[in-house]
Amino acid sequence: MNTLTSLFTILIFPAGLTLVLVGMLYEWIDRKLVARFQNRVGPRWFQPFADALKLFAKEQITPEIVNPYLFFGLPIAALAGALTAALYVPLLGLNPASNFPGDLIVTIYLLSLPTMCVGLAGWNTSGRFSLIGATRALTQLFAYEAPFLLAMLGPALVAGSWQINTINSYTQNHWVIFTQPIGFIVALIGLMGKLELPPFDAPEAETEIVAGALTEYSGRGLALFKIGKSVELIVGLSLISSFYLGGLNGIPSFLLKSLTLLLIMSMFQVLLTRLRIDQTVGLWWRFGAILVLAQLVVTILWKGFSL
Amino acid sequence: MNIEQVLAQAEQLLAAWNKETIHPESNRLDVVIVADDLRAAVIALHDAHWGYLSAITGLDLGTASAQLEALYHFCNGPAVASLRVRLPRDQAILPSIADIIPPASFFERELQEMLGFTFSGLNISARLFLSDDWPENVYPLRADFTLDQAAPVAVRQPDKLPEQGFVGGNTFVIPIGPQHPALKEPGHFEFTVDGEIVTAARMRLGYAHRGIEKAAESRNWIQNLYLFERICGICSHTHAMAYSIGVEKLAQVEIPARAQAIRELVAGLERIHSHLLWLGVTAHEAGFDTLFMYSWRDRETVMNLLEQITGNRVNYSANLLGGVKCDIGLEQAKAIKEGITYLETRIRHYLEVVTTDTMFLNRTRNIGTITFAEAENFGLLGPTARASGITRDVRIEAPYGAYTRFPVSVVTETKGDLEARCVVRLKELLVTCLAIRTIVDNLPEGPLTARMPRKIPAGETISRIEAPRGELLYFIKSNGGETPARVHIRTPSLCNWVSVLEKAVGRQLADVPMLIAGMDPCFSCNDRVVTVRHTGSNENWSWKQLREYGIEYYKR
Repeated sequence: MNTLTSLFTILIFPAGLTLVLVGMLYEWIDRKLVARFQNRVGPRWFQPFADALKLFAKEQITPEIVNPYLFFGLPIAALAGALTAALYVPLLGLNPASNFPGDLIVTIYLLSLPTMCVGLAGWNTSGRFSLIGATRALTQLFAYEAPFLLAMLGPALVAGSWQINTINSYTQNHWVIFTQPIGFIVALIGLMGKLELPPFDAPEAETEIVAGALTEYSGRGLALFKIGKSVELIVGLSLISSFYLGGLNGIPSFLLKSLTLLLIMSMFQVLLTRLRIDQTVGLWWRFGAILVLAQLVVTILWKGFSL
Repeated sequence: MNIEQVLAQAEQLLAAWNKETIHPESNRLDVVIVADDLRAAVIALHDAHWGYLSAITGLDLGTASAQLEALYHFCNGPAVASLRVRLPRDQAILPSIADIIPPASFFERELQEMLGFTFSGLNISARLFLSDDWPENVYPLRADFTLDQAAPVAVRQPDKLPEQGFVGGNTFVIPIGPQHPALKEPGHFEFTVDGEIVTAARMRLGYAHRGIEKAAESRNWIQNLYLFERICGICSHTHAMAYSIGVEKLAQVEIPARAQAIRELVAGLERIHSHLLWLGVTAHEAGFDTLFMYSWRDRETVMNLLEQITGNRVNYSANLLGGVKCDIGLEQAKAIKEGITYLETRIRHYLEVVTTDTMFLNRTRNIGTITFAEAENFGLLGPTARASGITRDVRIEAPYGAYTRFPVSVVTETKGDLEARCVVRLKELLVTCLAIRTIVDNLPEGPLTARMPRKIPAGETISRIEAPRGELLYFIKSNGGETPARVHIRTPSLCNWVSVLEKAVGRQLADVPMLIAGMDPCFSCNDRVVTVRHTGSNENWSWKQLREYGIEYYKR
C-alpha cells in the first residue's frame, strides 16, 4: 500500500504528470504575458500541450556523426534531473515528497543537470551552431551558478538548516525578502539565466546561431528538453517563493506567489535586450556574485551576534 | 562654387589624360581616356577629393563596333564627371582601382561577370553575382547573349556548399545564410571565428537573380516602369521614381508641379516605412523583440496611408512616365496628417528608447564605429555615411523633383557607431514627417501628368535619387527606340557592404548580425541582373515562359 502511495506521489500527483502539466500551463502563462506586453495576441492556452504532442508524434532525425546513446539519453537525463529535483521542494505548496538533511544542495545540483545536458548535447552533435551554443550555455552556467547557490544559502543560514522542508516552515513566519532583498533579486535573475530566458538567451540567440545547442534536435528529444525546461521553471519558482516570499503552505499560496514571480520575470523578458555572453559573465561576477556575497557576510555576522 | 566651376575643376584635373571632352547634360562632364591612363586619372580625382566614385557602368557598344565601354562615374554634389574608357571586345583589360577606392571591387566584379571585362590586379575570380555553375566566358549583358549560351540543364552543377566543420583548433567557419534566421533575404556570409571573435569575413550574393537589367532591354519604356518597381519591396517607389525622372530628362518633358510634390510625398512615406522596418529588424537582431513588435505595429500606420493613397501596400505603382497616377484628395490629406501626427510621437519615443535604454545601448554604443575618414574611404552612402559625419544626401546636394520646393534638412551624427546610425535614421524620419506635412498643406494645383512620347530620343542620362538606404543611381541609355538600350542600376547597399566585411573582423560573433543590419542591407537591390531562374529547378526561363507560367498560376 505504501509503495502504491509513493508511486502515485512520484508519477501522478503532485510530482510526475501533474508537475509536467502545470509546467506547461506556466509556460503558456509566460508566453501569453510576454506576448501581451509586446502588443501581440499570443498563443492559446493549449499551445504548449499541442506543441509537445506534435513533437512527440514527429520523426526524430539523428545526425550521422553523433553518438546515438548520448543523443537519445541526454534529453531523458535532463527531464529526469528536473523531475527528481521536484521531489524535494514543496511542490504546489504541499509537503515535499521526500526529504533528508542537505537536500537543498542536491536539489540545486539536480537543477543544473538540464543545462549540463544541453551543453553535452550541443557538443555531441558537433554542428557549428550547436558547438557555439553549447559553449555559451556552459559559460553562462559557470556565471550564474555560484551566485544562485549563494542566494539560496542566505535563507538556509537564517533558518539554520540545509533541509528545504525545515527552511519552508521557518520562512512561513519570516519574509526573508525584506531582510535579504539582494538575495531575492539574484535568485530570481539566476533562475532566468538557468531557463535561458531573455536577456540571458545568448546560448540560443536565433539571429546568430539559429537554435544554439539544440539546433540538431527534433521530435521527441526536443520535446523532452522543452518539458524539462517547464518543470525546471516550476521547481525554481517553488524554491524562490518558499525561501523568500514567506513559505508555501497550500495550493493558493503557491499559485499567488509563483504567479507573481512569473509576472515579474515576464516583465524582465520584455524590457531587456539580450546580453552578449561576455556581458552576461561580467554582470554575474562583477555585480551578482559580489553583492550576494556581501549580503551573506552581513547575514552571518548578524546571526553570530544574535546568538 | 556652381556646377560649371566644379566641372571645370574636374576637367582641369583630368587635362593630362583627356582625349575628348563631352558635355552630355548641363551637370555632367564626360572625359574620354585610354585604359593605361585610368589609374592616374582616378588617383588625380581621388587625391584632390573631387567627389566620390558612385558607380562603374559597363556598356556593350554592339557586335558591329566590337567594343566595350566602361564609365567611371564620380559624383560631386550635383556634378557628375564620368571617365569613359573604350576597349576592344576581346581585349577588354582594365587596371583595377580597388586598392585606391575599396568599393570599386564590387563594381569591377559586376563588370567582370556581366560583361567580360578583365581587371588586372583585382585577383578575385570567385563569383559574386552569377551562380557557380554558370558557364565560363558567357557574359549575360553582352548584346549578343542568347539564352542558349547558358549551359544546358544536364551538365549544371548545384552551387558549392560552404565547407563543413573546423578550420583548425578553436577556429571554425560560421555560415550565415542564404537561409538563416538573422537574414530574411538570401545572402551568404562566412565568418571565421576563433571562439567568439570573428577573424575573417567573406560574402556571396546572387541567390535571387532575376535578370532585370537584361530584361529591361527587351521591354518598352512603359513596361520597364513596372519592372523596376519590383526590384525592391521596400523602396519600390524610389526605383520607379529614379527611372521616371531619368526617362523624363531624356525626353525633355517637364512634369507638373503637383505630380512632383506627390512623388516626394510618397517617397517620404516610403522612407518612414523603410526606416521603421529597419529599426524593428535591428532591435530583433539585438534580441530586443519588444521594440521590434512595437515599431512594426506603428509601421502599419504608414502602410495603411500608402494603401489609402495608391491602393497598394508594397508596390505602390504611384508613378507614370510623365507624372503620377494618384491624387491627394481632402480625405487622404486628413488621413495623412493624422497618421503623421501619431507617427511623430511614436518616432520621438523610439528616439528616446534607442538613446537611453541601457541594455540596448550595451549592444549599439561604440560598436562597429566607422570614423569619418573610414567612411570616406569605404565610399559609404545614405544614413550609414551620415552617422559618420558625411553630409552626403542627394536630396540636399542635388535636389530633384519637388525637393527644390519642399526641401529637407540633412541629419548627421559624428560618432559613427550603431547608436549613431539609429539616431540618424530616426531623426531623418522627423524631418521627413515635417516635409510631408508641408507638402500636404501646400500641394500645388494643376494636372497630374504631362504627355510623354512613345519613343524616347537617343541619349544617355544619369538619374540620382536618395533612396532610404542612400544614393540610388540609374544610368539610362536610349537609341531613340521604343526600348532602352541599356539601364544600369547601382543600388546603395552595394556600396555599403565593404564596411560590414571590414568592421566584423575583430568583433564578437554576437555583434555580427547587428553590423549587417546596421547598414540596412537590401539583397533584392543587389540581386537583379542576369537570367531568370525558376526556383527549385536548374532551368533558365525566358520572359515569355515566365509570363505564361504566371498567367497559368493565377488561373488556378
